[in-house]
Amino acid sequence: MRTARSTPLSEGCRASVITALAFALPVLFILAPLAIFLVYSFFSVDHGEIRHELSLGNYVRFFTDPVFLPVFRSTLLLCVSVAAISVLLAYPAACFLTTLKGRWRYALLMLLMVPLLMSYVIKIYAIRSILGLNGFLNQALVWAGILREPSPLFVFNMNAILLTLTLLLIPFAILPIFLSLERIPQNLISASEDLGASRLQTFLRITLPLSLPGVATAASFVFVLAIGDFLTPQMVGGVSGFTFGRVLYSQFGTAYNWPFGAALSVMLALVVILAILLGERFGRTRGIST
Amino acid sequence: MNHNSDLLTLRAASKSYGAVPVLHGIDLAVRDGEFLTVLGPSGSGKTTVLRLIGGLESLSSGEIRLDGEDISRMPINRRPFNTVFQDYALFPHMTVAANVGYGLSVRRKPRREIARRVAEALDLVQLGQFAGRYPAQLSGGQRQRVALARALICRPRLVLLDEPLAALDLELRRQMQEFLKSIQREVRTTFLFVTHDQEEAISMADRICVMQCGHIRQIGTPHELYYRPNCEFVARFFGENNLVPGVLGPVAGNLRAIDTALGRLVCSVEGQPDLRDAEDGTAAFAAFRPEVLHVAQAGGGENRMAGRVVDIAFAGASTIAKIAPNADGDLLLRLRLPSRIDGGTLAPGQALELAFIPQEGHLVAA
Repeated sequence: MRTARSTPLSEGCRASVITALAFALPVLFILAPLAIFLVYSFFSVDHGEIRHELSLGNYVRFFTDPVFLPVFRSTLLLCVSVAAISVLLAYPAACFLTTLKGRWRYALLMLLMVPLLMSYVIKIYAIRSILGLNGFLNQALVWAGILREPSPLFVFNMNAILLTLTLLLIPFAILPIFLSLERIPQNLISASEDLGASRLQTFLRITLPLSLPGVATAASFVFVLAIGDFLTPQMVGGVSGFTFGRVLYSQFGTAYNWPFGAALSVMLALVVILAILLGERFGRTRGIST
Repeated sequence: MNHNSDLLTLRAASKSYGAVPVLHGIDLAVRDGEFLTVLGPSGSGKTTVLRLIGGLESLSSGEIRLDGEDISRMPINRRPFNTVFQDYALFPHMTVAANVGYGLSVRRKPRREIARRVAEALDLVQLGQFAGRYPAQLSGGQRQRVALARALICRPRLVLLDEPLAALDLELRRQMQEFLKSIQREVRTTFLFVTHDQEEAISMADRICVMQCGHIRQIGTPHELYYRPNCEFVARFFGENNLVPGVLGPVAGNLRAIDTALGRLVCSVEGQPDLRDAEDGTAAFAAFRPEVLHVAQAGGGENRMAGRVVDIAFAGASTIAKIAPNADGDLLLRLRLPSRIDGGTLAPGQALELAFIPQEGHLVAA
């Protein structure tokens, strides 16, 4: 056979071609579009025509126009809240998972991951109907006597976006926290108790610090996914729930100002990169003994 | 050191995992201030004994008493014992000093006292200059010493060591053996040391407890166990030994004859009243160490065994010859001779006569 006789040289060639392809794909499909976006953000639009002249006008507009910065800030606050709430809810869930044994543990973990397999839009619709004026949440609160009559507090505003994003993204928080908790050797817990620590002391001084990398990863996951989302605010946010994602989306759609949209995307990308870097910085496990 | 009072006693201590019993009602007394080694092959239940005492496992039945007081139900964090774990179990996110001081800081001791005692403990294990490092920046032997300092700092009544040297290479292990022993003498704390390595046990222990299949087979000084094993398992497990099965014959003073396939052998029964008083014809073993065997001149005498050299193995300071007796070729005897630079006088195939002095052989119950 001919292939069997191939020389080391041609094998080396093939290897370098494969390497080049492996790098070419992400460059072609990820870096190149991002670069094009970056270039577009310096163009401008004149009467519906894109003018291919470089200027900083879009960025000046972003920082000076009274509309964009407040939306940007409130969106950041929203997504930080979503990340914080998700982590706070996910931590006990992940702790509970690690206390389960064998098959039960992974069965429950799979159940928690099932929502990830469902369509995003369907999930949002489902949550919207739960939050709505005649939704399950209001009925339950009225039934429990906490509310006298159904409240419009839960849908078509910022609260709705917060609740929906948290519900949608919580599996992304549980998984990294669970993995970091599971990786803590049982021996360390035994050693802590052997040295006289109570359960609470063991949790605060051993388990919690050793699981913080998972918490940092979880928080950055949720934050990045939340800040890039425009569909959820669009569907449950109503008029008052105006987020940066929606502004961005409108620039490419209704406003037809691609260069300005590109500039907004660049700002968003900077925030995302910062969040990922922060997550990576605190998500690194320090000096686990081998 | 007061070796006479019992610090800790296990009475009829049993442990089962589900339906699988791992300890069958053992009795064990740990004396105050001693270095007690629990020795056994893997699966003998030796680590379970340690975990039961430390409180990492709970007894299925029986009891553990400390100074006569039942502590079987006392939670792990209230027992005055500390453990050195096999893989050290150092906290990776804390410095050496924080690891060592952990036991004091969870007891809310004043900062200054913690700092002073941590410095003392680190000096004791000769790691003073490593206080600010993290465990990942230390070598295996250093981590081992941090784990020891961490266990000693709370001044426990008993230090439990779970095969702490198993992960170290041979040279380091030798050093650590001496080091552990000297530390134990210095702090005068009772050490309970679990190992499967009988050489390690011999070199370190005041007393050794030999375990097999969840039973204690024998407890005694290394010397007693080596020269007076009370059962076939201990006789075979503990060092190299020649065991020849036979039936007991007449008693003469401290000696008793045993009739074996190699003829009548005479061995000591000193300190073994059961074997001295056993009826004639009871099955037993004649046991004699390779180093008590010697090559005999032709002629009569006691404990003579004619045979042929099968194999010679050089082992450094000594040379072990395997000898097939003419009377029973399946039963290989081991003969230990000091090594000689010219290779010695033995050669494979050579016929020779072996003997041992009756007082240097002994009997082991079958």
